[in-house]
Amino acid sequence: MRLAFILSEIGSGLRRNLSMVVSVILVTFVSLTFVGAAGMLQMQINQMKGYWYDKVQVAIFLCSEGSTAPGCASGPVTPEQQQGLNALLESPAVAQYINDFQFESKDEAYKHFKDQFSNSPIVDSVTPDQLPASFRINMKDPEKYQIISETFSSQPGVETVIDQRQLLERLFSVMNGASLVAVGIAGVMIVCAILLIATTIRLSAFSRRRETGIMRLVGASKTVIQLPFILEGVIAAVIGAALASGTLWAVAHFFLGDYMSRQYPDTAFISSGQTLILVPALLILGGSLAGISSLLTLRRYLRV
Amino acid sequence: MIRFENVTKVYDQKARPALDSINLEIDRGEFAFLVGASGSGKSTFLRLVLKEDRATSGAVYVAGQNVAKISSWRVPRLRRGIGVVFQDFRLLPQKNVFANVAFAMQVIGKSRSVIRDTVPEVLKTVGLEGKEHRMPHELSGGEQQRVAIARAVVNRPGILLADEPTGNLDPTTSMGIMGVLDKINQNGTTVVMATHDDDIVNEMRKRVVELRNGVVIRDEAKALYTSMIPVVGQSRRLKDASGREAPDGGLPGNGAEGEAQR
Ligand SMILES: Nc1ncnc2c1ncn2[C@@H]1O[C@H](COP(=O)(O)OP(=O)(O)O)[C@@H](O)[C@H]1O
Ligand SMILES: [Mg+2]
Repeated sequence: MRLAFILSEIGSGLRRNLSMVVSVILVTFVSLTFVGAAGMLQMQINQMKGYWYDKVQVAIFLCSEGSTAPGCASGPVTPEQQQGLNALLESPAVAQYINDFQFESKDEAYKHFKDQFSNSPIVDSVTPDQLPASFRINMKDPEKYQIISETFSSQPGVETVIDQRQLLERLFSVMNGASLVAVGIAGVMIVCAILLIATTIRLSAFSRRRETGIMRLVGASKTVIQLPFILEGVIAAVIGAALASGTLWAVAHFFLGDYMSRQYPDTAFISSGQTLILVPALLILGGSLAGISSLLTLRRYLRV
Repeated sequence: MIRFENVTKVYDQKARPALDSINLEIDRGEFAFLVGASGSGKSTFLRLVLKEDRATSGAVYVAGQNVAKISSWRVPRLRRGIGVVFQDFRLLPQKNVFANVAFAMQVIGKSRSVIRDTVPEVLKTVGLEGKEHRMPHELSGGEQQRVAIARAVVNRPGILLADEPTGNLDPTTSMGIMGVLDKINQNGTTVVMATHDDDIVNEMRKRVVELRNGVVIRDEAKALYTSMIPVVGQSRRLKDASGREAPDGGLPGNGAEGEAQR
């Protein structure tokens, strides 16, 4: 009975304040979408780091068919050239700068490639001989990259030497910057959402002051009086959070999964399934934002 | 049922106290009028009983309980034992008569079937049978006040507080309301009614507690509304404003006039 009553009170509150409720939904929607976007960027960064970051600091790519670099004028790398490079890596002059190194054959490169781009259509169009073999070097001090680069760039059979960590770091810092911007916007929007929820609850309490006044006088409990207002804000915010979750999923699924992975086939994008772990976080964040801000508002504006 | 022990209420440090060292006891089942000019402290008295405000000093006991000692989460229980009626009815305009009364039961969690049985019974007590489905704006002032009384007593409180319940009503209607309050009192409910309607007080012949500037200046059983010339004048002026009575200086003798009008 009491539950039915509270529910009907919530219903009438939502209907009476429809335009405010819609604005609460929209503001929470936008702010949580930014929160979620920051989360997605971090996940994307981790996705890429997870595969590359600690494994690779410097890669020496070896010549393969069709390489146009000057060092590859004599065609694909020969086993002798590869032996020579291996010996050079093990020589004290170079070994003092590196922790260890690995050789990645064309087949291994293909396997890693497949793992990394498992949810990208490009996998089907790549064959092992399109990918170059390489030496993957783990540096003692990443800053000493220059020494490796100078030593190996001019060796026969070497196509190019790349400090992948530097490449990745540049990308990650752009992405980190973007997620900071998203967090900043989310912060401002969350402040808006809190203020708007507070205003909505206040208006709602004002427009129903007759009812609440009578409820107080006939001895309704604090819960019965306040819960409809609190739930009104919470429901609106949770709807906003659900919309935000849906939007993020759609971005991951349609934008990243379909469009971006076709445009940038050599990048591993997070899958739409991964974004689902953001959903409970957003729902809880939205609900508790509304709950806390309405509790604080009611303490001031709804005497019990 | 209600006991005030040396109760003082100060709203504003610079002004005189709204109530000043009040000592008063109202017994179970009693019917008491609280009379006095506007600002004499009648509403403040009722608010203290309801724990709507805290006494500045002294103790207020309701049903043997010191209200200052009731924790905030148990205040609703105190209020369930007290019905309240105001001058301005305070009905919910978008709910019909039945729903207005039922509201008081819904919000404290009474079951639908209990509500269905109790509300018509109470509406009968206040003389509104057959008007369950009227909206408040379709009712006269007297009928609206009856709805408000029904709502106040539907949960069977031991105490009914009425703050100038006839303040917006004409004398005939007012007497009807007094009949309802009397009936509720006969059923065992303690009734405390703040008023400055002399006709009614003189007609009812109940206990009269007179306040002036927050002090009890008279407490008399089966009493009249007398010896209050300035207050009587005020009550007369209010009536003049409603255009019901010719302005005649507002001197005493209202009891007789009230008789004449009925
Ligand atoms: N909430 C309040 N804040 C400040 N002063 C008040 C408040 N309520 C009443 N008063 C003052 O207390 C005195 C008694 O008021 P009240 O109890 O309302 O008298 P009555 O009901 O007899 O007209 C008046 O002087 C009034 O101005
Ligand atoms: Mg008053």
